[in-house]
Amino acid sequence: METAIDIGLKLVAITVAFTVVLLIVAYTVLAERRVLGFIQGRLGPNRVGPGGLLQPFADLLKFILKEDIVPDKSTRFVYVLAPIVATMAALMTMIVYPFGPDTRIPFTDISLPLTIARLDVGLLYVLGVTSVGVYGIMLAGWSSNNKYSLMGGLRASAQMISYELALGLSLIGVILLAGSLDLGTIVERQSGWHGARWFIFFHPLGFVIYMIAAIAETNRVPFDLPEAETELVAGFHTEYSAMKFALFFLAEYINMFTVSMLATTLFLGGWNVPFAEDIFGRGTFLFGLVSAIGFILKVIFFLFLYIWLRGTLPRFRFDQLMNFGWKILLPFALFSIFLTATLIFLFPSL
Amino acid sequence: MEPQLSWYLALSAVLFTIGVTGVIIKRNVIAMFMCIELMLNAVNLTFVAFSSFFHDVTGQLFVFIVMTVAAAEAAVGLGIIIAIFRNRETLDVDEASILKL
Amino acid sequence: MTVLLFILFAGMAIGCALAVVAQRNPLYSAISLIGVFISLACLYVMLAAPFIAAVQVIVYAGAIMVLVVFVIMLLNVEEEERRRPRLKFLVPAAVVLSAVLIAEIAFILVTVQESRVTPVSDSSSVGLTHSVGSALFTKYLLPFEITSILILMAIVGAMTLARRGGLLSPTARIVPGATQIPLSLIDPTVGHESTLAVEAETTQEAARLLGVDRVLERPKQE
Repeated sequence: METAIDIGLKLVAITVAFTVVLLIVAYTVLAERRVLGFIQGRLGPNRVGPGGLLQPFADLLKFILKEDIVPDKSTRFVYVLAPIVATMAALMTMIVYPFGPDTRIPFTDISLPLTIARLDVGLLYVLGVTSVGVYGIMLAGWSSNNKYSLMGGLRASAQMISYELALGLSLIGVILLAGSLDLGTIVERQSGWHGARWFIFFHPLGFVIYMIAAIAETNRVPFDLPEAETELVAGFHTEYSAMKFALFFLAEYINMFTVSMLATTLFLGGWNVPFAEDIFGRGTFLFGLVSAIGFILKVIFFLFLYIWLRGTLPRFRFDQLMNFGWKILLPFALFSIFLTATLIFLFPSL
Repeated sequence: MEPQLSWYLALSAVLFTIGVTGVIIKRNVIAMFMCIELMLNAVNLTFVAFSSFFHDVTGQLFVFIVMTVAAAEAAVGLGIIIAIFRNRETLDVDEASILKL
Repeated sequence: MTVLLFILFAGMAIGCALAVVAQRNPLYSAISLIGVFISLACLYVMLAAPFIAAVQVIVYAGAIMVLVVFVIMLLNVEEEERRRPRLKFLVPAAVVLSAVLIAEIAFILVTVQESRVTPVSDSSSVGLTHSVGSALFTKYLLPFEITSILILMAIVGAMTLARRGGLLSPTARIVPGATQIPLSLIDPTVGHESTLAVEAETTQEAARLLGVDRVLERPKQE
């Protein structure tokens, strides 16, 4: 019987997380357009609703009502499968992130863990699901039966699998520091020094490599040549219209959100807010609330960083991009493991 | 009623047989390669099932090594396939069955 | 409950495996094989081996199959066409062999049932990362190191096999950066069938080889 209640609670948690993620992603799109506008000296969309706040719903309406075109000569099954794979892989990573510590619900005695699933191999799970997300882009590029889509799709997927290596290697330093692959344990290990013992201080080179590799993984500026071809010629989602394009768009922004959450969890201490435990006490409702808000604020900082980079940097050419990923980033990632391992070996008491 | 060891072994046997059938039937060399991977995975399942039911981690280490070997084999095998394709312009094993180009 | 999950994942695995063999388009076979790998990963989780399940998804579904799908897309592999089997006895032989297989499976199901082995419980630590890692680095260190040398051999072998080394199509275009320009583009006297090639490391060098880095002097008209 209690398994049924557990499953029911998990389903409610998944629904809540799903809705919250979609809302945050929709408003990230709006925030990007406005912040990019301010960087470029203009206002973004501000007419729909107060300050443009209803713009995502207008966009959603537009996407739903547009005509859904399927190219005649494309392989229909794969053409429909590709955006589904991309979006599913983007959403599936949500369940392992710890949004907060064990919180006591007020007026009851129930202590609720603010993680949907606490896997022993949480970090490997995230890496695995991100690897499967590459298929969405590859299959989209191929099934559109359009040579520009094929080139864009192959380039994008080659870029993604190249930078996955540097991404994984930069995370090994974090695993060395935490001693576990479980994301909840990694966050708890960062709660020393009154909640300020974040891993970014011990593994800074790894943090920089992770951010660069993450931006390349999500196909954002300065690594967005496979998509920027959309502006020039075409990209892997050239032949997609209406809802399927919306799914690709959504998958890209959810990936951005996922990668920001992973960066916060691994390097910036997750839900650890300095001195929050001393003020509120562990396990209370206010501590949980402040921690969750701190987590969200750190994630928003990373999202802002993404948007800031988009407005500032030019983009890499494709061969420069691959050169950078294999010949520069990968050796530095290996070196960062060496540095962190030496640090742990010399100062085991830290 | 839990799934028994014999169920996992039976599933592994069925997957292995399907893989063997694929290697015999298929003419496309990439499809044959994929059926070989299917056979390797059936064996992996046997290893993990035994490791779980006999409480020994050795089976999972075997699986780890098998996966690594399969990855190395995939890289080299696909390189060979590409080289064959460049020389003969076909991926059909029946047409590529003699050494003469 | 676990029985239902087992039947679900086993059914998915067998269904996708049959699709791998039955599909004529190799890309659909590849997608079905990815389905097999993911359902096997779910079965590994049921067998309390989460580390191996995650590694299965990362290595098999995320790397090996990406490579296979890349090759299928690059070589533009077409569907197999049907042909008549030339050997008449194949179908009865298949029926007999599958009857043998079913008999063997029934034998396993009956005899292995009697040996009392129990599945691993939730509180055991057999499949966790810690136990796999500690065994891998202490008791089984030699296979681990040999595997790393094997991977090095595979990398070198794959690069050697994929190297273009002179067999270049005469219609190769120039991409800025390190590329090979066919000799026929530089020296017009060499025919298009020539397979010699010239390597250029930078755009400037390519421009110099092609003769487009000098300002052309227009012949004065009249």
